[in-house]
Amino acid sequence: MKGKITMTICVGCTALILTMIIFTQFKTVDETDITAIETMRETELRAELASWKEKYEEIEVKINELDNKINEYKQEIDNNANTSTVLQEEVKEAEVYLGYTSLQGQGIIVTLKDKDDKVVTYAHILQLVNELNAAGAEAVSINDERIISMSEIAKVKDKLININERRTTAPFTIKAIGDKKYFESALNIKGGYIDLMGAEGIDVSYTVEDNVIVPAYEGEQKFEYAKENVEKKKEEQK
Amino acid sequence: MIYIAILIGCIVGAILGSLAPVIPYTYSSYLSIAIIAALDSVFGGIASVIKGNFDLKIFLSGFFGNSILSIALTFLGEKLNVDIYLAAIVVFVGRMFTNLAIIRRHYIDKWVNIIESKKSKKNDFDNEEMKEKQKA
Repeated sequence: MKGKITMTICVGCTALILTMIIFTQFKTVDETDITAIETMRETELRAELASWKEKYEEIEVKINELDNKINEYKQEIDNNANTSTVLQEEVKEAEVYLGYTSLQGQGIIVTLKDKDDKVVTYAHILQLVNELNAAGAEAVSINDERIISMSEIAKVKDKLININERRTTAPFTIKAIGDKKYFESALNIKGGYIDLMGAEGIDVSYTVEDNVIVPAYEGEQKFEYAKENVEKKKEEQK
Repeated sequence: MIYIAILIGCIVGAILGSLAPVIPYTYSSYLSIAIIAALDSVFGGIASVIKGNFDLKIFLSGFFGNSILSIALTFLGEKLNVDIYLAAIVVFVGRMFTNLAIIRRHYIDKWVNIIESKKSKKNDFDNEEMKEKQKA
């Protein structure tokens, strides 16, 4: 009887343990995500690792390529920056030559005034500008009209004079930047401009200054008929 | 009595197993081997009951010993990089089938015997009737 009871208990316990383990296993198999890394077998992990390594290497190669490209682009950008700064400087220089910038520097300011019945004509001004240019003027303006290569100094009517297509009258103030000593001596030379004007009876006065400001040309320069001489350029290139 | 104990054990075990926390997948392979070993012991026990040489000590030692040993061997196989658990499964499942065959034969024999005995009983009854008729 005693043996039977122990046997019953033991068999019951074994059944309990077995079913418990089986159900736990069922649950585990049911609930674990087979694709998750934690549940993978070692061989699967190894295969996965190998594939990832391959991918990593591929990506590394790609990264290197892209890095090289980036460096190339950076160099190009540097080159472009250099060329663009050079170009900007060139443009600025060209603008200075064309008279599109206001300039300042040592120079002379000449004033021409009518005296009594003597009138300042365009020829007097033209002569003065010519004299100043001959003395090495770098920038000249008449009554704040910048004189450029296309500027005209022309008589319109009586006392009116056209400069850069704008009308002005006496008194004329001519500003020029350059070597002030050259200017002074060029105007004062015997038989020079001041002598001539004195002989003609025109009131001429000048002041030499260390900082003469010449304004910029305000109009537009257009080439309507002139074109670049292509043949000559080709010859130059050859 | 013993069947009731098994039934209660199964029900309680199922409930406990359903409530138990999920074990890590790496250890679940060991657990599955242990389950196979335990099932093999159970079928072996049933077969021995049929043969009439059932011993509780041998059953319990086989139940737990085989499970633990199979887990240990699987662990060793993993360390040695040999799939020993495959051999364990082959052995245990093979034995399970032989034990199942024994159980099946036993119950088929029993069933056949019952049918034959019924038949013979009927024949006897018929024979008696005939005899009575002849007597009459």
